[in-house]
Amino acid sequence: MADAQTAISQLNEAFGNAIVGVSDLHGTPVLRLGVKDLPVVAHYIHTHPGLRGALSLLWAVDHRPREARYELCYLFTLSECRDWLLLCTDLQGDDRLFHSITPHIHAAKWYEREIRDMFGLIPQGHPDLRRLVRHEHWPKGTHPLKKDFRWDTVLEQAQGEYAFRRIEGEGVFEVPVGPIHAGIIESGHFRFSVAGEPIMQLEVHHFWKHRGVEKLFEQLRLTDAVPLAERVSGDTTIGHSLAYCQAVETLLGIHVPPRAHYLRSLFLELERLHNHLGDVGAICNDTAYVLAHAHCGRMKERILQLNDQLAGSRFLRGVICVGGVSLNLTDHQVAQVTAELDAIETDFSELERILFANASLTDRLETTGVLNERAAWDHAAIGVVGRASGMDRDIRRDRPFAAYEELQPKVALYRYGDVRARMRVRMDEIHESARLIRDIRARMPQGPALAEPSGAPKPGEWALSAVEGWRGEILYMVMAGEQGQIHRCKVRDPSFVNWPAIQWAVLGNIIPDFPLINKSFNLSYAGNDL
Amino acid sequence: MFRILKKSLKTGVVTGQHPKADAPREPASPEAVQKTKPFTRSLAIREVDTGSCNACEMEMNALANPVYDVERFGVHIAASPRHADALVVTGPVTVNMTRALKDVYEQTPDPKIVIALGDCAINCGMFKGSYAVTGPVERHVPVDVRIPGCPPRPAEILKALAELREGKKP
Repeated sequence: MADAQTAISQLNEAFGNAIVGVSDLHGTPVLRLGVKDLPVVAHYIHTHPGLRGALSLLWAVDHRPREARYELCYLFTLSECRDWLLLCTDLQGDDRLFHSITPHIHAAKWYEREIRDMFGLIPQGHPDLRRLVRHEHWPKGTHPLKKDFRWDTVLEQAQGEYAFRRIEGEGVFEVPVGPIHAGIIESGHFRFSVAGEPIMQLEVHHFWKHRGVEKLFEQLRLTDAVPLAERVSGDTTIGHSLAYCQAVETLLGIHVPPRAHYLRSLFLELERLHNHLGDVGAICNDTAYVLAHAHCGRMKERILQLNDQLAGSRFLRGVICVGGVSLNLTDHQVAQVTAELDAIETDFSELERILFANASLTDRLETTGVLNERAAWDHAAIGVVGRASGMDRDIRRDRPFAAYEELQPKVALYRYGDVRARMRVRMDEIHESARLIRDIRARMPQGPALAEPSGAPKPGEWALSAVEGWRGEILYMVMAGEQGQIHRCKVRDPSFVNWPAIQWAVLGNIIPDFPLINKSFNLSYAGNDL
Repeated sequence: MFRILKKSLKTGVVTGQHPKADAPREPASPEAVQKTKPFTRSLAIREVDTGSCNACEMEMNALANPVYDVERFGVHIAASPRHADALVVTGPVTVNMTRALKDVYEQTPDPKIVIALGDCAINCGMFKGSYAVTGPVERHVPVDVRIPGCPPRPAEILKALAELREGKKP
């Protein structure tokens, strides 16, 4: 098992001349490379058996007006040791071309298209250069994250049509679905190509809900942007606000009090619980098993009402803040939480026995929407979806944050990658979350729950942060600007990674099973579109 | 079978087991109440998300759970705008969703009620001014009812709908 340091020396041996510099960013090794050499090194990290780096994040920064350069950063998670490794390269002056890594690393596909849309930098050799975020009616040359683009620009209307990938032939027809769906679902477009019942191809066409979140971050100060992070994806309020706060705390050098760490874990697990309960019910509902949906909806509601009682918000808005938590629960309140959760867990266990005894339900879930291990690896699938397909990754264990170092969560792992596996991961995690919260109650230290923000980072300093939200790993990169402003904030919801994977999971399934498969992924449209 | 029955008996009726909501901050206008008259006992709602953070969707979904059980008031969710009496719109209207919203509005048969749900739909909330947002819902289609909140609680939505139905004066 090689750790990141051994990996560095290994890379030094193999590509000594290409590496311009090695530095360290809050414990993560950073390799600086020339634009030309980057794809080769990235390919090596991705494929070398001792490293097996999965691409976790790819982002660009426009350093103007301080420096006339763009920076591209590639974050890899090494599978063997679960360490991070960061590759960075610069595009100087007016240079707008870089080499695409997508031909070798499939997971980079959407990231590079996103960078092209948002910055106007062109990934040479990318197999698919259609627009991603900018729809066809956006005027040419609109690249919102460039520093010379004003955040409140009023866009003009242009004409154009998105070219879907077409399958043609006798008996092949297309089924367009969305952007507005037939239930209470967010907006997104799906284009199926089918011959008879089985799906031959699905193309996901999203970003209808693009609100310009990353540009809005740049208008805010580091300490003021938590409410915006909470609204990146409403169902992941705690996950996103926590990831954002952790990055800012690293920048400001704030030491969060131990009690706040425990409370943060508690709130994060509460969020996981209510979402997973809702999902288990919704999966059953899509097989027309309404009874389970009703029971799960009822249990989910109990937790949301508990949240409301504790924090005055059903989604725990305003609870996480820079420096800790604004809501220091009393021991009595924590006891109330665990008592309620004990009751819900018993309730849920009874329902589980009913579900497992139902053969027709199992029949619908098994072998439906299989995302096999290879496809999951190629897409770098994460979170619930990844763990159902054998990707053994969980930030809570791999890069412990909040109080998870002491809590040691058990990771649910399945290999079949079908709808049932994804439901099983959720069921296991429901029990694990309840156990963690009981553990939190037993271990939680006394003391304050909030440290005052202090200090100011130098312009250009930046920090990375990761949180295992209920969907999967949420990543934030926050770079400080002048006088406490945010220069750049890269937000990565797990949905952005897992949406392309759904295109594979549905192949060969029938269209009536798509809602079921989609529900078992349950990805955020808002978090994806930003 | 026995397990299922036992579970149902043990659970009992949960409908209505939620904290009471305060009176709506924005009372329903007499015009809106007048407009709702034909739909007092049956209101088919089409939910349109024009760029919300999905918390409003979660609360709309919660309306259908056994605790709130909105169907007992004759409110149900329609699968097509052509079957709808009312549109519930959530979120600031994004550049990409503007046309879809207008299309949905045109496809909904008259008379129709437009309900702007949540702060974003009413005044764009945190996303006001962004290059990707074209304005609140009322900039594009006429709005009859506003239900503020970020997000409004299901009980508050129920209350607002009840007021609309019954035409109570605040």
